Amino acid sequence: MTAHAKLPTPPIADPVSDRAPVPQEALEAIFDDIRKHPLYDHEIHGCLNCGICTATCPSAQYYDYSPREIVQLLWTENLEGIYDAMQEKIWACAQCYTCAARCPFENSPGGLVMILREVAIKHELPSVKEVLRPFSRVLLKVVTTGNQLAPNMITRDAFPDWGPNVTKVDAPLMVLRKAIPMPTMHTLDTAWEVNLRTSVELYTIWEATGVLKQLATVDANLFDVVSDVMDEKRDEWEEWLEDNQDEDGDTDD
Amino acid sequence: MTERPILIVGGGPAGLAAAQAVGTSGRKAVLVEKAAALGGAPILQGYAKLVPSHEWARDAIGGMVARVQQNANVTVLTDAQVQAFAGEPGRFVATLKDGKRIEAEAAILATGFTHFDSLNKPEWGFGTYPDVVTTVQVEQMISSGKGIRCPSDGRVPDRVAILLCVGSRDRQIGREWCSKVCCTVSANMAMEIRELSPQTNVYIYYMDIRTFGLYEGEFYWKSQEEAKVKYIKARIAEVTSDGKRLVVKGEDTLVKRPITIPFDLVVHAIGMDPNVDNMTLSAVFGVTLNRYGYIDKATPYAQMAQTSRPGVYVAGAATGPETIDDAIAQGQAAALAAMTRAGVGLARAAE
Repeated sequence: MTAHAKLPTPPIADPVSDRAPVPQEALEAIFDDIRKHPLYDHEIHGCLNCGICTATCPSAQYYDYSPREIVQLLWTENLEGIYDAMQEKIWACAQCYTCAARCPFENSPGGLVMILREVAIKHELPSVKEVLRPFSRVLLKVVTTGNQLAPNMITRDAFPDWGPNVTKVDAPLMVLRKAIPMPTMHTLDTAWEVNLRTSVELYTIWEATGVLKQLATVDANLFDVVSDVMDEKRDEWEEWLEDNQDEDGDTDD
Repeated sequence: MTERPILIVGGGPAGLAAAQAVGTSGRKAVLVEKAAALGGAPILQGYAKLVPSHEWARDAIGGMVARVQQNANVTVLTDAQVQAFAGEPGRFVATLKDGKRIEAEAAILATGFTHFDSLNKPEWGFGTYPDVVTTVQVEQMISSGKGIRCPSDGRVPDRVAILLCVGSRDRQIGREWCSKVCCTVSANMAMEIRELSPQTNVYIYYMDIRTFGLYEGEFYWKSQEEAKVKYIKARIAEVTSDGKRLVVKGEDTLVKRPITIPFDLVVHAIGMDPNVDNMTLSAVFGVTLNRYGYIDKATPYAQMAQTSRPGVYVAGAATGPETIDDAIAQGQAAALAAMTRAGVGLARAAE
């Protein structure tokens, strides 16, 4: 049971919105999950409202987002405010953690946002699918290749916001990449080549830490595609292990 | 019985008060000062008018120095440092760097503090922009009689920002303490700036205002109501420059938006660090330091000046951020403790 005061039942709806009020129990369940997060006490110690986090925040310059507001909502246990911030605001954070580097009391608003995002996904808040949809392509790339952006994804059409710098995409990228000493970077299809064993281990980590479960919540189709890719790679890895097994049953790396 | 003198280390307000108290009581004191002159931070660093008396430091603390120098029972040694300290309460022997030996009944450490070095907060522009200064520099501007000027070109500033808690209450740089006096000193300084150049606007950026006790009326409210100093609740993120003026970036926490504001002069209200010599002092005198690096003090209820070593006492900002008034009171308390060898018997009984 949480320590905060109970709201009147039934809860008071927003008089200028048609949206049904969120039941108090749902708000409490969300806050309990936030507060029980193993990192929660590490990321928040108290807040004086000094505002250095928001002053230093790049996202606050452009969006209706304030790290100080996030910390205050959590510190004062404002359940409706937290729920409201989880609809859109928490997705404006770029996770640069400058706020955490500046806060005189070593709070980490960026870390709190990460917790809020995890809980938003767990509770399947409507905002989650909407906000994360544009990232599907990147997510697929990460899950299938091990890195999120490949050189051949950088085209004039894809980055109109680069302005005059867009001419840089016309550089002979393959020649330039061959000049890099590490052979894993001699490719344009991925940022660098991730070997099969690493890929399989990454999947295992994503599976064990619940990332794939989150993906199933956010985008069921993408989850199916990724699962297929994963099964394929795991089979490949098993085959490789069998092929390379010596008489003692050890694998030869 | 021939009584040995009380050894007092440090000639600032606490050490001067202790020396004067010991001397006036008829006992002998030896005052050892590292610098070439007595007076401590208020004299050596050129403070202007003190809080809360509004007396000039050179008059107030200068008077303490003169009284100690005229006290026949006090021997003053300047440019002197204790290199070794041995013995028991009642028969300590201190060896100075120049080889001189002093036999002492007891010792009082009044070794003070070191001002926070603003270079440790590079995002606030000190050391990068000449017009970013510390409260100590503004004290010197006022006490020198040259008035408030921008160091870059000597112009009288139109807009001055005082940033509080520079080197205080900041876990990022391992300084968790409140330095106690900076809020009141800054409020006083803001009033002095307004008095010296009424065309200058002064803004104070704060997290909390801690003008504790009676300072609330005389400094916090008076600076707002009479001197029209503006207080803004915001901790500044960074100080940069547009090439002409300083640019201060913060959040206006009332309208909840990030803001950038131009200033001519930015003043860091720097806090009190433990004396940079405290590790050496701890080793030489065999006293422990607390977790912040100040000299450890026993519980005040039996004897407030007690260190971890019987017969060695401590007073003033050596124990943590302290006001001048309280440093003086602690110096007198330490003198009484040293003369009565307070705590020595208790420590023996405990063993």
